[in-house]
Amino acid sequence: MAVRAALLRHVRVPLQTLNPAVTLTGPKWGPPSLRWMSSHDDHLTKNEVTDRVLSVVKCFPKVDPSTVTPDVHFQKDLGLDSLDNVEIVMALEEEFKLEIPDKEADKIDSTNLAIEYISNHPMAS
Amino acid sequence: MSGVSTAAYLARRAAQKERVRILYRKALKDTLNWAVHRHLFYQDADALRQRFETNKHVEDLDTIDRLIANAEATYDKWRHPDPYVVPWAPGGSKFHRNPTPPAGIEIVYDYGREDN
Repeated sequence: MAVRAALLRHVRVPLQTLNPAVTLTGPKWGPPSLRWMSSHDDHLTKNEVTDRVLSVVKCFPKVDPSTVTPDVHFQKDLGLDSLDNVEIVMALEEEFKLEIPDKEADKIDSTNLAIEYISNHPMAS
Repeated sequence: MSGVSTAAYLARRAAQKERVRILYRKALKDTLNWAVHRHLFYQDADALRQRFETNKHVEDLDTIDRLIANAEATYDKWRHPDPYVVPWAPGGSKFHRNPTPPAGIEIVYDYGREDN
């Protein structure tokens, strides 16, 4: 018993009091900051949208990847036809988990427009 | 007179092209709904593309209109009864599941610990 008490005195972990004000209103819990595992505040930056749009367009089989730039027109510059344009827009929808209405998707005909539309879309992820 | 007819011709062509694009888009999405797996979808999508390509060079406007009407009827007939909908979109599984609270309601994080 005495040995146990002596041993415990040595291995005891010093008690740390958590400051409740810090834990509750600190950066982890305050409303304006980012919450862990939260689906909010994860809006894409424009650079990220640009990279992902360009990678989708480069992966399209009929496109030469070296010609793709952020302001390229699908039909005039890449030599695609209108049905290829539809396929690219559908691939972009799947990449960003979007559902673009038919009339609006029909207007997207260049990487520039696609980047602008997706980065302004609140549900793009 | 010829200018007017040319403008009318171009307008009608543009309308037809838009109809074809939108039809192809809807049909392509529907193909993915029927063939859920990718390796099946790619073949079906190629077949669909071939069906559009066969009539690529048709010139007569009335024939084009008839072909589009037939294709739209076929699409309507084979439309998927339970298509995939993106979760947040109307009809999706998360649609209106977590609505924003009404204005004027806020969470008090330091309730009972206010400074005053």
